[in-house]
Amino acid sequence: MHTIYTDVLVIGGGLAGQRAAIGARRRGQEVIVLSLVPAKRSHSAAAQGGMQASLGNCLGAAGDNEDIHFADTVRGSDWGADQEVVRMFTHTAPKAIRELAAWGVPWNRVQRGEREITVDGKKQTITEADAAHGLITARNFGGTQKWRACYVSDGTGHAMLYTMSNQAIAAGIPVHERMEALALIHDGGRCHGAIVRNLMSGELVAYVARATCIATGGFGRIYRVSTNAVINEGMGAGIALETGVATLGNMEAIQFHPTGIFPAGILVTEGCRGDGGLLLDGREHRFMPDYEPEKKELASRDVVSRRMEEHIAAGHGASTRFGEHLWLDIRLLGAQHINNNLREVKEICQYFLGIDPVRELIPVRPAQHYSMGGVRTDHHGHSPQLRGLFAAGEAACWDMHGFNRLGGNSVAETVVAGMIVGEAIADFCVSPEGALTLSSTLVEEFGRRETRRLAAIAEGNGGENAFELTRRMQETMTANVGIFREAGRLEEAVIILQDLQRRSRAISLRNNTAGANPELVAAYRLQRMLKLAQCVAFGALQRTESRGAHYRADYPRRDDANWMRRTLASWPDAKATLPTLGYEPLDIMRMELPPGWRGYGARDYIDNPQTELRQQQIEALQATLEGADREERQAALMPFKQLLPEHLRGPNQRLGDES
Amino acid sequence: MNQIPVQQVGRTLQIEILRHNPYDPASKPRLQTFEVEEADAMTLFIALSEIREQQDPSLQFDFVCRAGICGSCGMIINGRPGLACRTLTRNLPQRITLAPLPAFELIGDLSVNTGKWMRGMSERLETWVHSQGLEGLDLDALEPAMEPELAEQLYELERCIECGCCVAACGTAQMREDFVGAVGLNQITRFRLDPRDERSDAQFYELVGDETGVFGCMTLLGCEDTCPKDLPLATQIAFLRRRMVMAG
Amino acid sequence: MSIKRISGPALSDLLQSLTGLLLVLFVWGHMFFESSILLGKDAMLWVTRMFEGEHIFGQPYPLLVSAVAAAIFALIALHAILALRKFPASAAQYRRFHQHMESMHHADTTLWYVQVVTGFSLFFLASAHVFLVFIQPDNIGPYASSDRIWSGRFWLLYAPLLVCVHLHAGIGIYRLVMKWAPIPAAQTQQVRRRLKIAMWGIIVFFIALGSASLVTYMKIGYDHADRVGERYHGADGRGGV
Repeated sequence: MHTIYTDVLVIGGGLAGQRAAIGARRRGQEVIVLSLVPAKRSHSAAAQGGMQASLGNCLGAAGDNEDIHFADTVRGSDWGADQEVVRMFTHTAPKAIRELAAWGVPWNRVQRGEREITVDGKKQTITEADAAHGLITARNFGGTQKWRACYVSDGTGHAMLYTMSNQAIAAGIPVHERMEALALIHDGGRCHGAIVRNLMSGELVAYVARATCIATGGFGRIYRVSTNAVINEGMGAGIALETGVATLGNMEAIQFHPTGIFPAGILVTEGCRGDGGLLLDGREHRFMPDYEPEKKELASRDVVSRRMEEHIAAGHGASTRFGEHLWLDIRLLGAQHINNNLREVKEICQYFLGIDPVRELIPVRPAQHYSMGGVRTDHHGHSPQLRGLFAAGEAACWDMHGFNRLGGNSVAETVVAGMIVGEAIADFCVSPEGALTLSSTLVEEFGRRETRRLAAIAEGNGGENAFELTRRMQETMTANVGIFREAGRLEEAVIILQDLQRRSRAISLRNNTAGANPELVAAYRLQRMLKLAQCVAFGALQRTESRGAHYRADYPRRDDANWMRRTLASWPDAKATLPTLGYEPLDIMRMELPPGWRGYGARDYIDNPQTELRQQQIEALQATLEGADREERQAALMPFKQLLPEHLRGPNQRLGDES
Repeated sequence: MNQIPVQQVGRTLQIEILRHNPYDPASKPRLQTFEVEEADAMTLFIALSEIREQQDPSLQFDFVCRAGICGSCGMIINGRPGLACRTLTRNLPQRITLAPLPAFELIGDLSVNTGKWMRGMSERLETWVHSQGLEGLDLDALEPAMEPELAEQLYELERCIECGCCVAACGTAQMREDFVGAVGLNQITRFRLDPRDERSDAQFYELVGDETGVFGCMTLLGCEDTCPKDLPLATQIAFLRRRMVMAG
Repeated sequence: MSIKRISGPALSDLLQSLTGLLLVLFVWGHMFFESSILLGKDAMLWVTRMFEGEHIFGQPYPLLVSAVAAAIFALIALHAILALRKFPASAAQYRRFHQHMESMHHADTTLWYVQVVTGFSLFFLASAHVFLVFIQPDNIGPYASSDRIWSGRFWLLYAPLLVCVHLHAGIGIYRLVMKWAPIPAAQTQQVRRRLKIAMWGIIVFFIALGSASLVTYMKIGYDHADRVGERYHGADGRGGV
């Protein structure tokens, strides 16, 4: 088998993967990026509305800082997030955005003077400060106290990905396009690279590396209705799971975006609502204030999506031949705003719906959007089980989002994680642990195993059809493991998925053409997707509470007493049809922000006795900190800077700071 | 108003596809026709997926975002390049002919290697911000200000999704493989406009001041007329031509 | 910016456009002068004399016409050499372009091909015409030209030349504007639409004007066929060509 040696192998060419690659490359490591598609076509490009970073430049962002971003993110996560990671993230996000600004991203800027905005359905005039003129501006997003989503019109992800890719090209980082990792090479404790399939020729190649980083994004395509790109099949998480050693965290935490256009499921950005757009029901009544008087349309995504489905279930949806849906109204924003700041939305409406959002309502319904779960890692993106295996971005669960991610925090996470994990990878490579010590027989063994697996599929004659089974899986996930979950439907899903897993081992290909062979690709990916789907369904069944996006109709309350725990799924027995679930506790006594009400959504939750204790502890600590500044107070509650690479520890300068 | 527009359907589409698998020694380019029952709001993405799933699983094509933003699915649709994912079949005649984009390396059927071409273009034209200050950047400091209008102008040119439609629509690119195409010229104007890029016109001239660059363009305007993102390519190329004549 | 500093491909591209522009302006002017025959033989005679410098020097110098012809020929040659760079250079390129054009059904692409074909033809047609004028500068006039066209059967040259030159010139001017003019992006489509209308208007106008003149020359030549060689001396009988 052809073998390629490198220091660092990054699997996935989106924002997280490329930023990690650039970080490691700058530290002198040789890096190769593998990508299913040309890197600039990665799904990062589809992020539209914005990237959260507490720059605090525009009027709506005045007074913003890391503390508020931290609190918003933790509340958004419904206290499922690792608070140290959230701190690392909120501290680094302004640096990430400033780095991207220097690299060429044309962030929209503050325009001094008066301008008209739309808030709560009404026009207002605000005045931006002279001093802020030309600095990076931000728009409002759901679940945040400040305007914090920095944006480039509504092509934020596109502009970021192009700039990032261009920097990677400038750094001379090779991207091996149309290459798919089929298996991680490992010895049970150390990861040594991957067996990779060329998606043009069908040839298998071994990539041997000191460090391997999974940055393959989410796995939305296990659902029938998803905003995700068709490549988001979670193959990175899948091959990590198939090691039998590495674990996946919180796989049941799946986000549904409120505004997927109906029925195609294509995303229209949260920026529509952030900029003042409204949700209307079948009678064109604005219903969100009835449910969420505080944040209305701009509660967190899990809450808004749930309220929308609730409203449809109550018989208030608009009905068309495709089924029931609601309306997104951005007409009140005006033609100029839509043409300048929401142009992708306008294009999507034109091309896919044949409507003009300046004059017409957009049909929307929640659609699967994001996977909070992924490859479980430590604070540096390193797998605790498999040394040398790293993960970053949506594919990872270092656990920044807990059970619900805030809009604009994912593109921000990709870059921040890339900055932090890239350094950690370089540190690992130069450490004694990072030495390449594997035997060539191990590589050959894995190569043979993958060749055998592909041959078994190609020669299979069980009569099953890969495409049909995939659709069955997707339909099951959308119908049974969606926004409203309950034991009966989840149990049914688990059984169906088990059955599909068995059937997926009896696929017959109708075609054994040379080269890429799309049917073979569908067949081997299906087997992995079914395992991921089972982690989601089985994990959701076991979690008998409602937290963030995971809502159990039969257990509607958040249960801090029993479920301050992160689900860890592994798949030690390849023949099994269920994952092995374990749980790791979230330590309330170490939290900077102990559990409470989120400020929107349900007020009712089951308290953990430790919450009260921790709260008292915090109050006592704060009493001793009279006169201390913001940073000192924070450091006393939950120090985190030691976890960051040294060059990322400095304080973020803001407008009006004394310096 | 407030209705999703639908058209009465019931057509049986005849989709004729130029097929060839270069990895199969026995394969020869041929046209194959598939029949597909048209559905409501059917796009070519849906139609092609259906053909692969139900009729011929070996059919190769590229879709990623299926929302018109990633640029993967450029192909020749009834003679002209376009993004298949956002082409509604209801806007096409009953007989549809699909072919891979010319000027790019064929991977199989409708799949072409635009990625390799674009990477080559990027390397050759150095499509990134060239700045001395990038080494040792102070990430803690307030970002330098930029005029809001300039940022918007930059984004206007940055909207290119490298789908390759402009190259496939370009008569020059059909004849000269080394022509950088509107995609390359547009990116040069984008970086030239960006004050963060410190390159001079003389340096840009080195990159595009010849027959493979802006002076190879014969102003056939196929690019302008097929760009799925409606980029102002004619204006930008004319602008670059004037600048490069001055710099030459 | 001085033209001296412009070099290489930039210079070639600029020169191709400039020579094209000059030739188009010349051709359009030429059309008005030659069509003076529509106003009568005397008008044409007056124009002929003017070009031979009679109105300045008091007597005609046909060598002046030769000099202009030589200059035009030089321009044509330079323009052709520069334009040749853009022509399909091999059968394969030619085939690829043809396929592309047939597939695209795109007006501007097809128009370019029209320019290639007319340009190629012009290299012979225009050269022949210019060469003739160069070697027989005194052989221009109401009768001389008409005899050449009818009895000398030069209408067989001039009819295709007329069509080719105006298609080539009209399309060329349209392309020249699109190539160089600073048209704001927001107005490109509108400006282009108007330019196209103007282009076709100009082409049709000049072909109509040229055809009318050609027919007139042919008619005079037909009537004069038994007196070939006789020069026209004006209605008042003075002077003669």
